[in-house]
Parts: sequence; structure tokens; C-alpha cells
Amino acid sequence: MDLLTGLFTTAFLAGGVLALAALGEVLAERVGVVNLGVEGLMAMGAITAIATVAAVPSPTLGFLAALAVGALFGAVFAGATVFLRANQVLCGLALTLMGTGLASTFGKAYSGMPARATFEGIEIPLLSSLPIFGKAFFSQNILVYLIYLILPIGLSYLMFYTRHGMNMRAVGENPAAADAAGIPVNLMRFAYVTAGSALAAGAGAYLTLAFVPGWSDGVIAGRGWIAVALVIFAGYRPIPAVLSGLLFGFITALGFVGQARGWPIAPAFLSMLPYLGTIAFIIVPVIAWQRMRRLMAAPAALGEPYYRSVR
Amino acid sequence: MANIRLQRLPSAHPGMAIGARFAAIAIALVFAGLVLASTGNDPIGLAGQVIGASFGSTYGMEDLGLVVIPLILTGLAVTVGQQIGAWNIGAEGQFYAGAFAATAVGLFIPASEPVSLVLMFAVGLFGGAVWILIPTLARAYANVNELITTLLLNFVAVLMVYYVSTDVWRDRSGMANSSTPRIPAEVPEFWGLVHWGLPIAVLLAIGISLLLAFSKWGYEVRLVGSNPSAGKYAGIKAKKHLITVMLISGAVAGLAGMLEVAGTVHRLQGGISNNFGYLGIMVAVLARGSCIGVIFSGALMGFILNSGIILQTQGLTTSAVLAMTGLILFLTAIGDELAHYRFVRDKA
Repeated sequence: MDLLTGLFTTAFLAGGVLALAALGEVLAERVGVVNLGVEGLMAMGAITAIATVAAVPSPTLGFLAALAVGALFGAVFAGATVFLRANQVLCGLALTLMGTGLASTFGKAYSGMPARATFEGIEIPLLSSLPIFGKAFFSQNILVYLIYLILPIGLSYLMFYTRHGMNMRAVGENPAAADAAGIPVNLMRFAYVTAGSALAAGAGAYLTLAFVPGWSDGVIAGRGWIAVALVIFAGYRPIPAVLSGLLFGFITALGFVGQARGWPIAPAFLSMLPYLGTIAFIIVPVIAWQRMRRLMAAPAALGEPYYRSVR
Repeated sequence: MANIRLQRLPSAHPGMAIGARFAAIAIALVFAGLVLASTGNDPIGLAGQVIGASFGSTYGMEDLGLVVIPLILTGLAVTVGQQIGAWNIGAEGQFYAGAFAATAVGLFIPASEPVSLVLMFAVGLFGGAVWILIPTLARAYANVNELITTLLLNFVAVLMVYYVSTDVWRDRSGMANSSTPRIPAEVPEFWGLVHWGLPIAVLLAIGISLLLAFSKWGYEVRLVGSNPSAGKYAGIKAKKHLITVMLISGAVAGLAGMLEVAGTVHRLQGGISNNFGYLGIMVAVLARGSCIGVIFSGALMGFILNSGIILQTQGLTTSAVLAMTGLILFLTAIGDELAHYRFVRDKA
């Protein structure tokens, strides 16, 4: 069916943005740092990617540049919150204000122009001719595979099946105990917050290079905040984070299809769906599945700075 | 030998804390000046121009007065929530909801001007409170973090206002393209172009501050906010207070929206809030939880925002102001933590 194929193709594209940003946030929150700067990091990543491909028409280069800018801003944020122990909520909000403000300032020159180079789909022979899902999943661009297969499986393995992953989770659950066991708490936090920020900026680059393609003011449109909320919904786990990103991609795609097919609902209301959906999805599970709480619980030291010696 | 080391205090000295805030603003301004200089501008000349334009003329002062009104109110909204430990990051959405409700009354309910204004005032408060209702109930009964729920509703409110102002309520007289017709009722002027919203905002800040300081309600709210377990031990109904405080917070932000449409812009249009909701977070943080402080930090933020508007001729935009505000907030957060430390000399 044509409708379903289009729906799934858009869902994978739109969901990828949320999934990648959510993966970045999973990394930061697992080591105990709430990064509310995702929205700003995505905006910086998006404009960096657009500016880069405008200079050199290579989407890969644009994506890598966005990762680098994300890591740079992430390192500043991590430095302030991990080493100087500044308030994580305030620093995150500050990063969002800075990122969105800077991005729209620099973005003015690129506003409304299509991206000069974009990620193109790669047809995988045979598989791409499967009904419905074939076209949606097996003729996508390379980043889709990175986001839906390589990263979630790789990170899940790292977090739950390696010694390093156990150390990483210990840092988020009980930094004092981790410190006593000889794990470098602050270094671990710094590294993963920085890496997570790079992924968030990468999500912005993916948005402007593969999904929208192009920069306009407000193009991030709260996707960073949705990603932060999805992490809670996903119980701080990489694979559920990606799946819930896909679910929201599907909701977004539904809105697009509705607009394209002229459903008798104003586009503004269809555009509200992802936001209202996110709110419902973080409220409903808490009420519906009380018993799931332990499984879905946030890392115990989330949001708390670690002081080795307060005298 | 005396050994000098750093010691962290549980609470920062008030002088240090305020000093840290001024240092944050100063460093951010110097940084912005350096960026301007590196792009070939003359920051000192521009600063002189800004100060001259803001304070040197009646027009400048009037513009400043007008932007200060919503900033005090959105800052007050965030500050009120903080009293009980809630982060209302949705002042932007509540602002739109208040503006939306006030416009509906102003456009469609025929009444004499004073009656219409009183009604708009009431529905402005109500609209803001409705907009924070779901996050409030979710926080009170399911312990869902209000930070994200209030924030996501901002985007819904923006879409709603965009929809009505470009579609169903659009001005079809040809005078304006993407906004509603002019609202007949207007908040009267108080000084020059500055309407009565300014004294209302200031009095509201003082009133809430007095209530918090001297009423039983205020005492209980502050106790629950600063030490929830002590509040529980004292038998205070924390949930009830949380709900009231958050609804007041939303209502105050809604009032900001009502005053903006009825006093300043006179039409509902997309982007009417000018980021006032987000800048309100900054106002509240700079005010350190004091409702009276909000009046001053609102005035300061208004000056920064107004400077940005004046500098637009130099290629700067309100988004540059937003970035600048972010930098101040970031440095403030760092400064707040550093203010907790002092040097002590160990005796050998």
C-alpha cells in the first residue's frame, strides 16, 4: 500500500531525529547528569550542518562538523556541571537559550534555502522490494541504519554487558560508591555528557540534512524537549529510547499524511500531536503501571553533583 | 606553616551571591562586546548609543517601560513556582493562553470598555491557569516532572495562537495580514505610551511578596518549598499548596499575555510573546527567589532586551539577545556555585 509505505518512510526519518537525540540524553542521564540543553545543541548542530554543506557539499562532512560543535558545547556544559558542579537545570536551560539564539542569529543567512547537499537513500537489493516495510527501511540513508541498528545495539551492549558499562551505571546510581571502587566519577561523567551532546547536535544535523532539508528559524520546534521526555518514557535504556523515537516519528508522519491528504483538521492541530502525545506518554505510564516503576526508575544520583570531600 | 585550602559552605554568603550575579552579567557583556569588536563593530560606541536611546529620550524610556511589564510578570510567574520547588518553564505557553482568552473576550463579547477590560483581565488570569492545570495535576498526583510538561505545552499554545490569528480570527479588512482585528478595549495609558500594566505588575509583585512573607499561607508555602519533610511533619497539606501555587504561577503569566494584547499590541498575532516566557526564567533566576527582586531584574532584563531591539539596525536580533541571556544564565549558575566557596587557612 502506498499510504503505509509513505507513512513508515516518514516515520523512520522523523523518528531518527528524536531517537538520536534521545540516545545522547540516555548517555548523559545514565552517568547522573540531566542535560536540558538538547534543544539548543540540536539547533547548533542543524545550523552547523547547513553552513558546512553550503561551503563544501558533503553531507558526511556536515554531520561530522555538527558532532564536533556539539562536543565542544557539551564539553563546556559538562565542565560547568561536573567539575564546577553548577546547577544542572540552570546550565541546561542556559545552553538551550544560547544554542537556539546563536543558531537563529547565524541561520539568518541560510534561512529558506534548500540544503546544498543531503543524505540520499541507499537501496538495498531484494530487501527494499519487500512489501510496506521494504521501501521504508531498506532504501533509507546511511544514518538511519546507524540510528536504528548500530547505535542502540552497540550502546545497549556497552551499558549492560561490559564491565565499563557497569562502572558507567554505578556512577549514575551511587557516585560515592563508584569513587570508592576506583572509578573516575567526574571523568566518566564529563566524557559521556560530551559524547551525548555530540549525538544531540548530530540529531539536529540529521534533521536539516536528511529530513527537512534546509534551515528555517524554529526548525527544531521542541524536538529536543520531546527527546528528553522520551528518555523517561524509555526507562533510560537505549533500545526502548530508539523505539519510542520511532513511535513519535510515526505520530509526526501521521500529521504529515493528514496534511497531504487534506484531512478536515487544520494543520496546526495535526502539528500539536507530537507535543500532546509526549505529555500523555510521560503521564499515563506512571499512573497505569505502578509496578513498572522500579524497572523504569531514573538513576538514583540523577541531577546531583558529586563532591568527593565537602569539609 | 599555614595551609590555604578551599572550603565549601552549605549556603553562599548573600553578598557573594549577589556579587556573583553582577560578575556574570559583566562578563557576559564583555564577551558580547568582544564578539561585536571581532565583527568590526565598535562596542563602546554602540553601548553609548544604546544607553542614549534607552534613557536619553522619552520614546526610549516608554519602550523600556513597555517591555518591562511582561518581563516582571513572567519572571514573577517563575518565582512564585520556585517558592514551592516547582519549575514552571511554560510561562511562554501560559502567556499565549492568557492572550488568547483575552482576545476572545475582547473581540467577541460586546460590552462597554471598562466591563470588557475587567472581563479580559479575569479570563487572562484564567487562561494562564488552565494552561498549567494538567502539568499541575500530573505533578501533584503522579509526581510527573513539571519542567517538561509545562515546556511542551508552549509549543501547543504557539500553534493554537498561530492558527486562530492566521485563520479563524484573521483580520479580513485588509489592514493586517496575519493577525486578528484590533481589539476595541484598551488598557488606559499611565505615563506616555506606557499603560497601567506597569503599576499593576509592580503592585502584584509587591502584593505576592507581602503574602508570602506575612500570611499563614505564605509561611506554609515557603516551609514546604524549602524543606518538604519538615512541612510533612508539621502537617501542612503540601499537595493543596503545590496546586494553588502552580495555578497562581500560570495565572500571572496569563495576565502578562492579556496585558500585552490589551495594552501594547492590541491584536493577537503569532510570535506576540517575543520570548517573554523564556526571558522570565532569566528574570526569576537573577531575582534569587525574591518577588521584589523580580521588579529590578525585570527592569534589567528589559534594558538588555531593549538594547537588542535598538541594535537591530546593526544586524543584531532578538535571537542574539536570547543567546546573550543564555550566556548570562550559564555564568550565573557557575557563579552561584563558586559563591559557596571560601579560602580558609589551616593552622599547622
